[in-house]
Amino acid sequence: MTTVEYQVSSRPVPNPAKSLITKLHMGTGMVVGAIFAFGTYFWLRSGEDMTVAHNVNRVLLISMFMWSFGFLIGIGAFIGPFRWLIGKDLTDEEQLFLAGDGQGVSRYFRYCTDHKVVGIQYLVGVMVMLGAGGTLAMMIRTNLLSPGSKFVTPVIYNSLVGLHGITMIVAMIVVSTGPFGNFILPIMIGARDMAFPRLNALSWWVLFTAIPVLCSAWFLGGIPTGWTAYAPLSVQAGPGMNAFIATIIIFAISTAVAGANITATVVTMRAKGMKWNRVPIFVVGATMSVALAIPAFPTFMVSMIMTALDRTVNTTFFDANFGGSGWLYAHLFWIMGHPEVYVILIPGVAILMEIVPVFVRKPLFSYNAAILGFAGISGLSGLVWAHHMYMSGWLPLLNGPFMITTEMISVPTGLIFLVILGTLWRGKPWMKLPMLSVYAFLWNMLIGGITGVYLSDVPADNYLHGSMYVTAHFHYTLMGAALTGAIAGLAYWFPKMTGRMLHEKAGYTAFWFTQIGFQILFLGMFIAGAEGQPRRVADYAHTYATSDRISTIGAYLIGIGMITLLWAVIHSWRKGDVAPQNPWGAKTLEWTVPFPVPLENFDELPVITSDPYGYGRSEK
Amino acid sequence: MSADTQFHVHHDSPEVRGRRERLGVRLLIVADGAFVFGLIFSYFYLRNLDANGGWLPKGAHYMSALSGWWTAVPLAIAALAHRTGERRRDSFKALSIITLVALLAGAYYQWHQLAHMPFIVKDTGGFEGAYASMWVLIAGANMFHYLLGSFIALGLVLRNGRAKVDAVLETWRLRTAGSWFTWIAISGVACAITTSFIH
Repeated sequence: MTTVEYQVSSRPVPNPAKSLITKLHMGTGMVVGAIFAFGTYFWLRSGEDMTVAHNVNRVLLISMFMWSFGFLIGIGAFIGPFRWLIGKDLTDEEQLFLAGDGQGVSRYFRYCTDHKVVGIQYLVGVMVMLGAGGTLAMMIRTNLLSPGSKFVTPVIYNSLVGLHGITMIVAMIVVSTGPFGNFILPIMIGARDMAFPRLNALSWWVLFTAIPVLCSAWFLGGIPTGWTAYAPLSVQAGPGMNAFIATIIIFAISTAVAGANITATVVTMRAKGMKWNRVPIFVVGATMSVALAIPAFPTFMVSMIMTALDRTVNTTFFDANFGGSGWLYAHLFWIMGHPEVYVILIPGVAILMEIVPVFVRKPLFSYNAAILGFAGISGLSGLVWAHHMYMSGWLPLLNGPFMITTEMISVPTGLIFLVILGTLWRGKPWMKLPMLSVYAFLWNMLIGGITGVYLSDVPADNYLHGSMYVTAHFHYTLMGAALTGAIAGLAYWFPKMTGRMLHEKAGYTAFWFTQIGFQILFLGMFIAGAEGQPRRVADYAHTYATSDRISTIGAYLIGIGMITLLWAVIHSWRKGDVAPQNPWGAKTLEWTVPFPVPLENFDELPVITSDPYGYGRSEK
Repeated sequence: MSADTQFHVHHDSPEVRGRRERLGVRLLIVADGAFVFGLIFSYFYLRNLDANGGWLPKGAHYMSALSGWWTAVPLAIAALAHRTGERRRDSFKALSIITLVALLAGAYYQWHQLAHMPFIVKDTGGFEGAYASMWVLIAGANMFHYLLGSFIALGLVLRNGRAKVDAVLETWRLRTAGSWFTWIAISGVACAITTSFIH
């Protein structure tokens, strides 16, 4: 057994109580953040004419950023960089305190650098965001239950759509790489921690500061633009738009930090013997996802900064009277926006690929094809953005090439199907909860993928764009495939993360309610869309009444399913059956460590001598 | 945590940590590079589109083509001084101070340019056109690079010669900082080339 550590310190822990680090936590962060935000707000507004929209936007935006900055100061995020600046690096004792050793539940409310704590923080945060976004979806569907509904006003409906969209997109981007990329991934590759533990904590707490900012949109008049926030509509929107802008900028910082951290961890911290062809497929998928996000998200940030400047200091990026262009926004947005779909999808699919060999007890069918599929999707995703602009009037000559690149994505996607089907082929699956999601994925992704081919086709898109058909299509891919994968990951890794088994009966109930409701909701929506019902509109003609009523019933079933899943998670976490160390008999490294997972995961670093999917071979 | 708890802290070798940190910074440079690419793409997009002749309306003010180069020069000096200091460690102290001074001077000059830009329409407080808007955004990105670079340069000056700093790891960190300084110099030059295409 070879270990790579350079030096081991083993001595009594001096009490670090005098250090400032020990006195800071989420509460101090919120207090300092609130002081910074409200102090800035009242200070700036005293010198501004607050009847002018630009001034209001400026004051609000700066206050929101000051909240985030203040919170991070208050929770101690900048102590490390400051100590580096003055040449007094954090001591071993302080680093151990930051890692949360022996602090119990309180470490979840501190700037804790332990990757397992960060993973749990992401898990809870994502569940809260999905819950909020799902509640907004229920309100949207309730308003669409019947034509002429007055459940909410059209203005509020627009805000519901915008807030639902952005909340879900943010949640979905981190739904797999946040909880499992942080908690599970380092153990899977045989590492003691992430490459940059402080940056790891930073990525979570930066994201955390975006949540109240996004919530504030509700009290500032909402987000009337949908999640795409097209300019110049977003430039002219009310003060709630500032919350959207600040959220995206803060989130982009968090994503870049997390992406660099996960990528560096996988590249440099794999266990001895874990060559690239022995890396678990989830690790490959998560790495490709975050690596794709690193260059994609900054362009979205550029578009948001431009929108912010147009709203606050009267620049003219998107004002055609003064040389600006709405097309510029669309380019910058979709250069991020389409890779972002795969940033969400790839880790969810990779989780399912991780699960199939375990429950079929067969090696993953063509590991190389899976890698090729992920790489092909990632590469092509940067060349397809303008298919979102077919009908915008921008350079129709290029519609053809973008149609071809978009349709080409179905080839690597087909490879992924092939790998999963090949692994299932002639297998005798162990039909546990995580495995059900694999079949749900195959069905949902098939529908989401095929309808995507129609939408990538310019003549078909000419008719279908802007309709409920598009909404149904991307929900089939994002929710039907990616979220299904993430929920499978939760069921699969729940024993490792909590030490308890997920309540099986409640899990099955949640699965069937969710999946049946999902089909009812979105198949109904395909019909309404194909018949011409526009999306993002609060009311509709009587022609669509039946399909919309069916869709709303489906939405309620999903709601019941998700509430059941939430109950299962909370109940199982508190009182569930104690899980054995390796309940599924899997071969990857995370199942070799006990629960609770030790602070540095492994007493001795493992040495890898085979691939992680050697099922059946040893039995021969 | 009690005072008599036994604990183990595993340290990877400075070389391993150094390489890891350099990779992390290079990945962040990729993210920053995508941001700068977005700015340059936007500049040429709006310039070539020239919607309603609003890129540079008649009578509108504009900066000299050299203005971007003047802000790129301190970035290049800083990168050069730092890179030289990496190789000639006996002169590093003086060269790190040159790096810091170049960045602070550049930051001041960039702030001066921003404070005295001529594009604001006095009646409305708005900008004269798309060129002015893009120039401000690119100058802002340069300013961000200057401020972050100054923070790093100040840290290297203050840390230099301290007994508590691991010498081997510090050498790696100099190389990592060198990646950042080189990148911001490249970015400064790229932005200077971009803003040289005015009309």
